[in-house]
Formats: sequence, structure tokens, C-alpha cells
Amino acid sequence: MLPAFANPVFDSQRTFRELLQAMARPAMPRLLPVLPPSPAPIAPAAMAILLTLCDATTCVWLQQPSEELVRHVRFHAGLRMTEQTHDADFAMMTDPVSMPSLERFAHGDLRYPDRSASLIVQVDSFRTDTGMRFAGPGIRDTQSLAIEGLSQDFWHQRAALAAQLPLGIDLFFVAAQHVVALPRTTRLLED
Amino acid sequence: MTYNFAFLDEDTKRMLRRALLKAVAIPGYQVPFGSREMPLPYGWGTGGIQVTAALLGPDDVLKVIDQGADDTTNAVNIRRFFARVAGVATTEHTVDATLIQTRHRIPETSLREDQILVFQVPEPEPLRTLEPREAETRTLHALADYGLMHVKLYEDIAQYGHIATSYDYPVLVDGRYLTSPSPIPKFDNPKLDRSPALMLFGAGREKRLYAIPPYTHVESLAFEDHPFEIQRWDHRCELCGSSESYLDEVVVDDRGARLFVCSDTDFCSGRRAQVQA
Amino acid sequence: MYVAVKGGEQAIARSLELLAEARRGNTAVPELELAQIREQLRLGVARVMQEGSLYDEDLAALAIRQAAGDMLEAIFLLRAYRTTLPRFGYTQPLNTSAMRVRRRVSGTFKDIPGGQVLGPTYDYTQRLLEFDAAPTTCVTPFDAPLPPNMPRVLDLLDAEALIERIEPGDDPEPIDLTREPLMFPADRATRLQNLSRGDEGFLLSMAYSTQRGYAESHPFAGEIRMGDVDVVICPEELGFPVEIGSITLTECQMINQFHGGNGVPPQFTRGYGLAMGEGERKAMSMALVDRTLRCDELAETNYAPAQNQEFVLSHSDSVEASGFVQHLKLPHYVDFQAELSLLRTLVSTLHPVQQGEDGRGRFEPVSPEKEEQREVLKS
Repeated sequence: MLPAFANPVFDSQRTFRELLQAMARPAMPRLLPVLPPSPAPIAPAAMAILLTLCDATTCVWLQQPSEELVRHVRFHAGLRMTEQTHDADFAMMTDPVSMPSLERFAHGDLRYPDRSASLIVQVDSFRTDTGMRFAGPGIRDTQSLAIEGLSQDFWHQRAALAAQLPLGIDLFFVAAQHVVALPRTTRLLED
Repeated sequence: MTYNFAFLDEDTKRMLRRALLKAVAIPGYQVPFGSREMPLPYGWGTGGIQVTAALLGPDDVLKVIDQGADDTTNAVNIRRFFARVAGVATTEHTVDATLIQTRHRIPETSLREDQILVFQVPEPEPLRTLEPREAETRTLHALADYGLMHVKLYEDIAQYGHIATSYDYPVLVDGRYLTSPSPIPKFDNPKLDRSPALMLFGAGREKRLYAIPPYTHVESLAFEDHPFEIQRWDHRCELCGSSESYLDEVVVDDRGARLFVCSDTDFCSGRRAQVQA
Repeated sequence: MYVAVKGGEQAIARSLELLAEARRGNTAVPELELAQIREQLRLGVARVMQEGSLYDEDLAALAIRQAAGDMLEAIFLLRAYRTTLPRFGYTQPLNTSAMRVRRRVSGTFKDIPGGQVLGPTYDYTQRLLEFDAAPTTCVTPFDAPLPPNMPRVLDLLDAEALIERIEPGDDPEPIDLTREPLMFPADRATRLQNLSRGDEGFLLSMAYSTQRGYAESHPFAGEIRMGDVDVVICPEELGFPVEIGSITLTECQMINQFHGGNGVPPQFTRGYGLAMGEGERKAMSMALVDRTLRCDELAETNYAPAQNQEFVLSHSDSVEASGFVQHLKLPHYVDFQAELSLLRTLVSTLHPVQQGEDGRGRFEPVSPEKEEQREVLKS
């Protein structure tokens, strides 16, 4: 079996600080400091996020569970898996083009909007010199971000969710060693 | 007895970290969390301590202040706690800190993007003194129904000619959630608006945490004909001469003679050092 | 020239020295041993374990000694220590039916199967201070041991379907208040956990209020039993139950006002209390408050403080209450300065102050006409 974090206490702390800044400063990629080994199809960067945030008290939905993968995350993190997208606290998308639509995940309820899913989406790449323009809390003026590897419909689904704010879903995208986050409050600007 | 780094066990840190991420995603909304009993009493900063403990790493430089000062007894106690359970470097200089835990003040020195400010919060619910029931205030937030607060402020004006709230002055975050900025004087409220730094709020006893992301619009409640105003003094700081900072009133003799000094001790000593240089 | 106040660290260090000195007291007097506290202050130990939510008599004794007998401080010490302990899992539900009973009484029947077993209790003492040192007594052992599975008094009523039945099957998995925050409305299991950790004095007062008309529930002490109960875990790796020890518990089942309706005939209703060690007052208070908090489920008019779930459960924890009440000792001068500023502004224009010869400030009382004039000016 593959190992996980070499230094769980400090590796998860350093990873968390990047995730926190990613969520606080949306659409601005952060470098993940630790890349633990990971069974396919989960990439090391995405595994770092799973190991940092998930444990026996969270419900995780894996888009492409393999026996080795399930064994790995159960052993190293005590993860509880679910087959129901609506029950997932965290969902791991390893094939985003065919991922379930966003409305199949928990959006929270008006009195507890925090009871909503967080999605970790493995994509091909992202860049900030071009792309869609975003604004909202955490972004000083606007921020450009282009994400390669998502379905066409993804942004329509996300826009549809925006009508339900403060309910919503919060997203982490990973590519190679970087993570970029889009909390529900980040607005896509129409140009 | 050896403790896990920063005292909390990893399960607790993960629980806090998940809650903090949701808090940042929903600015100003109070996320319930499984607050633990800490070696300091509830009401003395356990929320701030748990947030700091979830964030803290060996490379951080930690500053802890209470009433703006590094040397007040509770700030000393909390700083000692973290030195003991995390061995982390500590500082009294705002500019050198990566993580600042504070009770009741925001530093006068502007914060940077690489800094995080953690507030100790006694009562996270801005409507609590108007509505004691949590079940009810949850619903009011769900509906963004903040009439109770507007009525209270209006009644102050009717009775006193002024809004009678001088600290813990309620703010609207990102135009959506009514939030308590913690009992900072209203003087500090403008610093919340569009700050480069991330601001996190921990209420241990009430078991809620919340966040104001950087560059987020934060507006202090007011009326068009009674706009929000900060406190001003007729005095300068006796020690450094500042007329821009929040001043503490000090009684210096038994005839009641007063003088005023900066509440932010680092800001004050920095100014005095500059003058001497 | 004014010199800024410094030296907080030294002040704290000195305060700790003074505390250590005060804690020890007169050094000519022998230091208390933990075994003495555990053995001879067992009821204090029981309370600290219960509200500290940690069954360990030696640790509770240590906390009591460290806290110089301040029970709330000892409870806080134990709770803070508990936070650091690793969590292995959950035990099987404690089987109090199999309790090795040392005391068991009922107020509802003159005699019951198994008998009224009085056990070690202050109930039959006269409260006269004993100035002579307590004589060492030798207790004559019983010839006949107590029956192993003492039948439950409430089962006698259940046989006639006279008492409400609460089937285990209806019970959802309880949440753990030491891990999750309390949310409202709280279900019964959550309420019971909150009450079990709650301050005995607060619960006693709440319970007392229900006996004086603030949501009277006509209680009877159906059964109070105290004794040792086995603690059993069922580790996933083994797949079978393992007994890991036993603890002393006090259990109280109250029989309360009967209710009926919705096709169900009138039946007595239940209230339940459980405490570690010999915690009878706590278990009884808990049972009374438990029953009272079931008011919505039992369609009772909700008007009394002890029926107010948010009020009772939000204020029951002594660690929270003590922390917040006492936090007022912390410096609040920044906010006080803000209030002073504000008040001076409000006062100065309306009520000019003169200082008299005695050093006391006096303001000009304003006549009602002048007050009205000012009102007009304001608007």
C-alpha cells in the first residue's frame, strides 16, 4: 500500500493554509506544498486535500472509486464513503467532463447554509492571464481565470446555483501542484 | 505530558479547518462548530485560541493582543500557552507577525495580504441582546430580516439624539449577513472594510465561527440622516503625540487627573522609536 | 511624566507563586493525599467526575486538590484534561438492569420484589455536627447476598400497560455534545446528555421550580438504584463484546402525571436521570427536568422556565457559565472608554455637571418644560 503524508501534522497544516488562502482569495491559484503518493485516478494534489480535510466524521463521494483507492483512503484517513451524492460533505471528481450535475450535491439550507458539499475537481490545467473574469469577496477588483477540462454545461449549472445564495457549493480545482478555489460567492462577470 | 502540536488533536483541527473553509465561503455567517474545553475558561478566548491552533504552523510568527496591548495579562497568558504547546515564534511588532490573535481591537498598523487576524468573540450573534432565542435568530438570518436592529438604532436616536452603540457595532458583510465585529470600538469598524488581510472570528463558548474574507465590503449600519461616525478625541497620545489612534484614558492621581495614551502599544512604541531615530 | 504600565508577565508569575502558597496552606499540616480525597470525599469526587464527564476517581481527586476544594474549578480541570484524551470509540449502552445494586428504593410501593435496600445514605441521619472524630465501625456483612438482577419497579407498571413505553427502536443514533455544538430543537437524547453534564445546583433549582407550580408534573420516585455496572465495548476487529471494567452509577426513574390521547389510554409518563458515583440529588433533579422538557412531545402548555428548552440547556453548563460570568474580570477598558465617550457626549449638551465642594458631581435637574423644548430641538 502507498504511504500518505510523511508528516501528517505539519503536512496537513501547511496544505490547509494554502486551501484557506485559496478560498479567501478566489480564482487565484496557490501552490500546494506537499504532494503525497496517491493511487489512480486521484492525483497527489487532490489526495493532499482529501487527507487534510476528510476523516471518519465526513462523508466522501468518489466519482471513480477503485478497490485500491478505497483501501488507501480508508486506511490512511478512515474515510467513510457514500454512494449518494446528496449525502456527501466532500466529492472527488476525477473525470470532470462526466461529473454529475451540481444540483445533485447538498447546497445547505437557509438556516444552515454551511451544511453543503465541497467539491474537489481534478482538471487539466488553469491559467490566469486570460479566461473568464470573476469578482466578489476576496478579489480586489476582478480576476481572470481559465480552467481547461470542464464540461460546457458546468458554468451554466454554477450560474443556476447562484440564484440560491447563500445556499451553494464550494469548489476546489486542482491541476498538477496547484489549487484554485471558487466559493459560492464568487461572481462570473458577463463581458 | 506531551501535547499534540498546538494542543488540539488532529480530528479537532480538521473539524475546525472544515468549518473555517465554509465560513470563508459564506462571509459573515456563523458556522456552528464542536468547540472543545480548553485550558483557559470559556469566555476568555477559547474560540480565538481554537482558530489559531487550527491555523498555526512552525513557520508562523504569532502576536497576541488584548485591548490593543501585548502586555495585558490575558494576552500574556495566551501567548505563553502557544509558546508552550507549539514552540512558535512570537512578536509584539504587528509588522513582523503572520498571525495576530486579538481581543477587542484591530491594530492601528495596516495589515497585509500575508497576515491573518483572529478575533476573540464573546457573543457572535449581533441580535442576541434583542432576541435571546437562537432558534429565532437563525431564522432571522435565513430571511435576512434585520428589522429588530434597525428599530433599536432608530429608538436610540429618538431617545438620545445619537445611536447609542459605541462598540460591537453591527455590520453588514458582503451586503448579506448582519455580523458582530466582536467588541471592538466602533472606531475600528472602518478597518474591516476591504482589508487586504483575512479576518477570522472564533466564539468558543457559543460554539460559532465566522469570517470576513479580504477585500470584502463591510458596512456599519446607519441611517441616511445619521451616518456612521467614529470616536474622536480632543487629546493626543501623551507618549507619542498621535491624534489618529484610539486612546485609553488613564487616571494618574487621586484628584482624578487624566491623560490619554494609545491603546495600541506597538503602534505607540513604534512612533516613539521613529521620533528618537 | 507618565510611564506606560508594563510588567504583565512578572505580575502573572508572582500571582502563580502566591497561588501555590495558598493552595498548600500551612506547611506544618500534612499535605492531602489523593487516596484520602478519593476515599473520604467520595461524593465530591462523584460530582466532579459526572460534570467533568470523565469517570476516573483518582483524576477527580487530583482536580479537587488542585482546585483547593472549588468543585466548579475541579470540574473545569477535568473537562480540559478530557479534551486531550484520544477517543477509541463508544461503549455499548450501559445495562443498569444488571446493576450490582448497593442501594435501591422506591417511593411508589411499600414493598417491592428485592426489597427496599437502604444502603449508604445520609437520608436517615440527623444532621447534627459530629465533633468527636468519626468512630471506625465494622459493618456486619449480610448473610444473604442481594439478588443479582433486581427487577425494575417500572416493569411492574409496564406489565399492566400503565406506564408509557419508549421502544429502543424509535431511538435515532445520539449525537455527542462533546464533539458537536448544541442545536435547537434538541431531541431527548441530546437533552439528557446536556443535563447529565449540567451543574447540579442549577438543575436542582429548575427541578424544585417544577414542584412549586412552574410546570407541575406530579412526580413519584419510581425507582432509585445505585451500584456497579459493567462497561462493555465491541471492537470492530474482534466482533464480540468485551467487558473492560465497571463503574458506580446512580439511576433515577420518576413516574409522572399520566397522559392519554391519540388512541392511547392514559399512562404514567417517565423522567430519567443518571449520574456517576453516588449522585442521587443530581439523578433526581435530572429526571424531573427531563420530564418537564418533554412538554412539547406530551402536548403540555409551555409556560414555565424549566420547560424552556433553550433557556435550560443553554445555561446548564457550569464551565460555560462560570467562564462567562467571571470573564468580566478581564480588562474591558477599551469598550468602557467608548461608552464613557458616548455618555459624556450625550450628557454634556443636555445636563451640564457641576462639581460640588464634596467632590461629587451634580447635574442641573431639567424641568419638564425644558425637557420638552429639547425634544422639539432634537426632532
